[in-house]
Amino acid sequence: MLQSILKSTGVFMLIIIGFILILFLPREKELTFLSAFQIEADYPFSFELYVERIEDFTGHILTEKGLGEARTGRPVSDEAGIFVARSLKIVLPAFMVSMLLGTLMGAVQFYRRTKFTGKLQNFLSWMFSSIPDFFLFIAIQYLFILMMQHGLPHFKLYGHENWYSFFLPLISLSLFPFLHMSRFTSAALENEMGEEYVRTAYAKGLGHFKALLHMLWNCWSPIMNQAQLVMLYILSSLPIIEKLAGYNGAGKELLFSISSNDEIKALSLMLPFLFIMFLTIILSQTAKLWLVQKERV
Amino acid sequence: MLLLLLAITFAGPYLPFVDRELTTITYILNEEKKPVIPPYPPSEDYILGTDKSGRDILSLIILGAKETILLVACITVLRYVLAIPLSFLAHKKWLGTHLLLKWLNGLLSYIPTIIIIMLLAMLPPFLLSEYRPLFLLLIIALAEMPRAAEMIKLEFDQISFKEYIYGGIAAGASPYRLFRIYYLPLLYSKLLVYMVTDLGKVMFLLGQLGFVGIFISQDFVQSMTGDWQLVNNSISWPMMMMKAFEDIRGPIWIPFFSAFAMTYAILTFNIFAEGLKSFFTRKVRYI
Repeated sequence: MLQSILKSTGVFMLIIIGFILILFLPREKELTFLSAFQIEADYPFSFELYVERIEDFTGHILTEKGLGEARTGRPVSDEAGIFVARSLKIVLPAFMVSMLLGTLMGAVQFYRRTKFTGKLQNFLSWMFSSIPDFFLFIAIQYLFILMMQHGLPHFKLYGHENWYSFFLPLISLSLFPFLHMSRFTSAALENEMGEEYVRTAYAKGLGHFKALLHMLWNCWSPIMNQAQLVMLYILSSLPIIEKLAGYNGAGKELLFSISSNDEIKALSLMLPFLFIMFLTIILSQTAKLWLVQKERV
Repeated sequence: MLLLLLAITFAGPYLPFVDRELTTITYILNEEKKPVIPPYPPSEDYILGTDKSGRDILSLIILGAKETILLVACITVLRYVLAIPLSFLAHKKWLGTHLLLKWLNGLLSYIPTIIIIMLLAMLPPFLLSEYRPLFLLLIIALAEMPRAAEMIKLEFDQISFKEYIYGGIAAGASPYRLFRIYYLPLLYSKLLVYMVTDLGKVMFLLGQLGFVGIFISQDFVQSMTGDWQLVNNSISWPMMMMKAFEDIRGPIWIPFFSAFAMTYAILTFNIFAEGLKSFFTRKVRYI
């Protein structure tokens, strides 16, 4: 238990270092003014420069005792905190929805697999999981705009100020992980079907529903393994969806800071993301251990 | 359900061809300009509306299809060409390749692919190079390569326990010969399914990159202010998404239909992959 957590922490540290190394590859341009009309842009790229930039960065961290101040004058970490809090409002519900509801839907789909509704559900979930989330988002917005033109009351589709503005991004973000979880759970249950204990359970006269509960309990381990994948998927789609929605969260700011070469800010926004991934892995591992142990007793 | 699956299996291979035939037919009804301000909403004249320079989106999409699908196919093939040898070496644990693969996969399971590509694609040596499209292709292919390699490695690991592999080793086959004659033929069908599934994923990734403003075929041009800018000269689908953040507040149909085309392509690839999968499993079962 402790060993696996320590190991994950070690991997996490290595990955942070790896990310910093990639982030600080030299990418700044040097403008040389030859005359009023002739300006040359040069992108120097050498190993010395790379070392220098990394030394600069470590020096910056040491002197500022943190990430320092942003261009607006506030500490970078404070600013990142605001954006990350906004994004968490989307990420956490999306994660919960896809993990809990997805598993539940998978169980329902498995339960009804021989009936027509179950097959329909299977087909629909397969079909919808091929739809990219950005298209879903644009499609929903287009639909709303068309509906507003035909008399639906107006409400703001973009921005992050309204209490409901996190809703649309949430839906488009959680659809794919949700369907993935539901399909995965259903497949995992299907695998369990061949086990002896299922036959025993049926032989003892347990109903379909109770047997399903037994099987679900044994599926926790593969289901928990999916948590990391689900989180990764949510986090990779977050920047695009946030940008499309005009939702001023960490993902949107991250894209902006990368394209404007603001490494410190990019790092301050990326670190929470990495940390969320780390937490997800640790929590899912702990949950797995806990569930499996309990089951053994 | 089986009937439906069979229908998909047989219709799947034909769907991409439907696309291609359209390309040649509609080549004639090309770009057109009108005195009215260009972005027209979808109407009878322009079923899908037009973009900002007055080009019909339907024909744009159809004309761009060839380029887009070619790009997607190139990336996928490149990815697997690199992934197959790597996975075999990793399977053989040659010179620590398996550790490298594990580490790369760890990195990728933490950091979203799109962020990595963004960071690498804007690096000066690639940005200024004459072969920028090639480098970008390589970056995108490499970014998801470890995942594919890991998948294939698992297959290799599984196969290596089979009897006939031991037979091959006992007969004195060299590792290369083992790889070519004993391992690969068994994997052809699976690789094909993986690759077709990956086509959809690459398309999705290209779409995401389109939103961020990174494309394969961009030119690097010095603008009036002395700054360098990326200029697009291609008609592939992701290109239409670049202005999506502005378009979405006005002519939303431009990103909508290009995203729709991508969705259609992804769906087609997935149906095709599913069809191939069921085709191969049935074939194996009859043997």
